[in-house]
Amino acid sequence: MSQANKSIQEKTEQLTKLVAWFDGDDFSIEEALSKYKIAEKLAEEIESDLLTLKNEINIVKNKFDSEK
Amino acid sequence: MEKSINPQPLYSVSDFIAVMNQTLEFAYPSVEIEGEIASFKVNQEKFVFFDIKDSAGSIGCFMTIWQLRVPIEDGMRVVVSAVPKLTQWGKFSLTIKSIRPSGEGALKKSFELLKIKLEKEGLFAPERKRQIPTLPQHIAVISSTGAAGYADFIKILNDRWGGLKVDVANVQIQGQGSPDQIIRAINFFNQQEKLPELIIIIRGGGSADDLSTFNDELLVRAIAGSRIPTLVGVGHETDQSLADMVADVRASTPSNAAVIIVPDKNEIIRNSKMYIDSLVPRIAQAIDQQKTEIKSQLTIILQKIENTVDEHLISIINLKNILMQLNPNTVLDRGYAIVRGLIKKGLTIEIETNKAILEAEVKNVTSK
Repeated sequence: MSQANKSIQEKTEQLTKLVAWFDGDDFSIEEALSKYKIAEKLAEEIESDLLTLKNEINIVKNKFDSEK
Repeated sequence: MEKSINPQPLYSVSDFIAVMNQTLEFAYPSVEIEGEIASFKVNQEKFVFFDIKDSAGSIGCFMTIWQLRVPIEDGMRVVVSAVPKLTQWGKFSLTIKSIRPSGEGALKKSFELLKIKLEKEGLFAPERKRQIPTLPQHIAVISSTGAAGYADFIKILNDRWGGLKVDVANVQIQGQGSPDQIIRAINFFNQQEKLPELIIIIRGGGSADDLSTFNDELLVRAIAGSRIPTLVGVGHETDQSLADMVADVRASTPSNAAVIIVPDKNEIIRNSKMYIDSLVPRIAQAIDQQKTEIKSQLTIILQKIENTVDEHLISIINLKNILMQLNPNTVLDRGYAIVRGLIKKGLTIEIETNKAILEAEVKNVTSK
């Protein structure tokens, strides 16, 4: 689960970089379409990952009502 | 105990005191008494003595300084949990197990006294505050799992984010013994082999007395001493506790604690979509720009071709004019004639004008 979270973070960072490329000096029409497709796929993956992931809640078994 | 012929038992003084203490212990193993503090003093920085009194009575009390979890001073209204005891000098006293301020005034006073003390020690200093992880993967929650504040926290957490490992210590969050339970939970998480990245202590709103748990000196010190960064969200927006103040980050409510810890996944999804949508006009704009540039370059090229063609046309016209000037017919048109044949007296020659070709005889030749 934690790994998946890391992956979302990585994907979000990658998407941010891709979007920044479109506003940067390196922008070229030749590459724009392939980069757009990658960005679109990343956004879809981020959405799917975020909607699928559930928190893992674990109530610890230790009792805290007395010194042990 | 000495034997006696008297049916009544004969005690030594110390035996009698012991019997009295046994009787008291049997009848009142523990009592809670509310009253006002008087003659408060600490001896040898270890032993605490005071009287608890009301308008009609007063009882001496004893406890050790380590049991004193909140600051106490004369005039403060308190509830003591104690064991009644007869001392070896025959004096009746209460051995205090715990003491807590009672009533809003006393709670406030106690809060202020402890706040000043801890502030002097630098426990609330901003430079002590640690940053909490931006996107933790493993967190520890200390709360009562049956409390509304805990339910709010978990709901908001689940609504906002997924994939977190959440270890929950279910503890009492109000009343006697609650600070110790929370301290044990803090210690428990701090002793784990794989430490959580953040400890979150939460409870919803309550009365000043309910929330006084979070003004316990040992609890405040345990939060300060945690090697795991801490976030405390206790009560409502307006409530302030010493636990809040000592924590690395304070949340105004349990729900706010969840908001601080994790980003909102729905917002991230919205932003991702917005990013993608913003790229289409960006590409269209770039294509338009490229088209305009190509158009302008084509115009320049066409202009250059036109200019070259014009230059060549002019040259051709000039050449044509020259050629026309050089055309013999043009010369003949101007009245000249071409003479063919040997120019010798008596010989016949051919003369061509613009209109006719003549045969003529040379009558005379004179040199110029």
